[in-house]
Amino acid sequence: MKTTRSRLAVAAAATALALGLTACGGSGGAVGNADSTNVDPAGEITPREISWLLSRPADGGVITAMEQIAKEYATDHPGFALNLITTPDRPSYIQKYQTLAAANKLPELFDTDATPYAQKLAKQGRMMDAEALLKSLDLYDDYRPAALNYQRFDDGSLYMVPFEFQLEFFWYNKALFEQAGVQIPATLDDIPAMCTQLREAGITPIALDGQDQWPLERYMAYHPFRTAGPSFVQDLKKGDAKLSDADGAAAVDWMSQLGSSGCFQEGFSSTGYSDAQNLFTSGKAAVYNIGTWELGSLATDALDAGVRDDVDYFTLPVTSGSATAANEYVSPSGIGMAVNTKTFDPLVRDFLAFALKRYPEVYAATGALSPTTNVETTIPANATPLYERAVQQANDVGETTAMPWDTQLDPTSNTRLQQELTLLVQGEVTPDEFISTMDGVIAQNGPAAFK
Amino acid sequence: MLPNRSRLSVLIFLVPPLLLYAVAVLLPILQSLFLSFFQWDGVTDMQFVGLGNYIYMLTGDTVFWTAFLNTLGYLVICLILQLGGALLVASLLTMLRRGRELVKTLYLLPAVISTVAIAFLFQRIYSLEPAGLLNRGLELIGLGGLQTAWLSDVGTVLAAVSVPEGWRFTGLYMLIIYAALLAVPQELEEAAKLDGASWWQTFWRIKFPHIRPVWITTTIIATTYALRGFDIPYLLTNGGPGQASELLTTYMYKTAFTSTDYGYASTIAVFVVIECLVAVGLILLLLRRKADA
Repeated sequence: MKTTRSRLAVAAAATALALGLTACGGSGGAVGNADSTNVDPAGEITPREISWLLSRPADGGVITAMEQIAKEYATDHPGFALNLITTPDRPSYIQKYQTLAAANKLPELFDTDATPYAQKLAKQGRMMDAEALLKSLDLYDDYRPAALNYQRFDDGSLYMVPFEFQLEFFWYNKALFEQAGVQIPATLDDIPAMCTQLREAGITPIALDGQDQWPLERYMAYHPFRTAGPSFVQDLKKGDAKLSDADGAAAVDWMSQLGSSGCFQEGFSSTGYSDAQNLFTSGKAAVYNIGTWELGSLATDALDAGVRDDVDYFTLPVTSGSATAANEYVSPSGIGMAVNTKTFDPLVRDFLAFALKRYPEVYAATGALSPTTNVETTIPANATPLYERAVQQANDVGETTAMPWDTQLDPTSNTRLQQELTLLVQGEVTPDEFISTMDGVIAQNGPAAFK
Repeated sequence: MLPNRSRLSVLIFLVPPLLLYAVAVLLPILQSLFLSFFQWDGVTDMQFVGLGNYIYMLTGDTVFWTAFLNTLGYLVICLILQLGGALLVASLLTMLRRGRELVKTLYLLPAVISTVAIAFLFQRIYSLEPAGLLNRGLELIGLGGLQTAWLSDVGTVLAAVSVPEGWRFTGLYMLIIYAALLAVPQELEEAAKLDGASWWQTFWRIKFPHIRPVWITTTIIATTYALRGFDIPYLLTNGGPGQASELLTTYMYKTAFTSTDYGYASTIAVFVVIECLVAVGLILLLLRRKADA
């Protein structure tokens, strides 16, 4: 009896070990054989189903447009289908795509920001060179430079194709400003005073979605973008610049002032996206910082009549001696689409040639800003005059864009920054503590991530 | 002792579930142990770092220790709510003459609601702007001064994320303990009462020793569940503000799937396994020893 049991245990252990070894062997960073610069592979176009793993709203403009385009392509290419697998929640999406990348199971097309992780994939040759691809399809010059620049890695290389173009504004309520007797802030450093004055008038100054954390992180990016330009975060993330430097310390101090002046609604860190927006659209908060993707909800007849005509916007204020111009601010082209090298073949190229050429027209008809300059955005019938003004603003935007820090820093530093920022603005840590914590975390993780 | 042939048949029937358990539970634990000695981001080559991850975890990582202390706080609140609450409700139930089934069902309901729904529900309950159930209630009873953003205040957030988890499973443990209490022989209780034992004495000397085996099992289940608690804190606050509601599990998850540091995340996972084993060992030791005394 005893021998049977021990034999059984040995057999079980051996099986477990064998399984363990095979599992480990299978998950190495194997790389496809294709060449990431060979954008025009020879061969027949054989229609099949291809997949796009993406992180965009399921009923949004991009997906609607691409579904229509895929249908058009399929009528000429029977057997073709575009399978769109979307995970709109960004953190969940990133986990999904990184897990698939680790298993080397990414589909033909997948979304990614220009993150350090994406750069690793590019270095391994797992993503097609998007600049070469767009040039070979003769589409490169159609794109807005700012839209392409947003997708580039620090070395200027381009591996993602943009599908949107957005401008991030400070939307504000004219009536509430008048009621509190405040003006549009001329510089970033006027914002704390603006908040104090609004608070005194009993108005919530700025509505903030603190739960998703990136909206607060945007504010952290603003001050250094004005005082030092886009290079600050590029140096900071590698450990070449520090938050204790003059530009960094000024930014941290400014964030702390935003907190102590009561700029954001109480309990902002647990307020979600739609609750924050409701604070603004219901006329309770005076300012709301969001991109033109919300034009459909902010510049529309559907908005509450009491607020509708009071909504206006201003762009990111400058600082005195600003390193960047007033028409340069956050103008993202959204998460980009990467093309998997391993599965790139004549069909994928042919479909992209068709789709990317057709896309701007179809997309602009939905009332959105195209990442290209060759089409006019259709203004929806129920839009307020503000809609057209915001769309026109896109023609005036500068080429230097303020990069959101969450796409710049290594993920560990980014997570910690988001946590510490909440504490800083809530007044739980002092600016000095914040700086020493963050400089320490970045020194430990940043240089290693950008080797 | 079973005859030879049936021993074989028992083995045949036992092996498939054992194999399943080995593949689904033991194997991942072994793999985590293996991975915990490496630094690996999933795409580049694995680097052997020896005990480096363990040394950093125990000596260099302040977030880890914050998360560990938070986990203990979370555990205590969950246990008080789940076991204390369950025992209280179960005892009261035994005194109830009518409507027992209704009360049982009502208490059990939260256990069948999906976690995500519970998280959304409590997000609303705790909300300050617009005022949620809790803050409204405080105002109604004249305690408006206590209103706060429960999930944004570093002083209240840990309790705020623990309560939903505790509340959720109180009914389940209540049911188990209630069944155990019903099994306590009536005549013992009556004899004690005749001898002049108070309610507390009857409970502590007669009823509790009878339900002790069930109590041990329930404590083990509740403890390991709480130590592995993840979903509600993750959905409600994602560990924030700062690290005020960061648990070992949420920290591990972020390390693996946000920082893509699978090696270090595995190190934390190994710690969670050890922590659960130690907790179970302690419970058995404490409660068994009492039983022997």
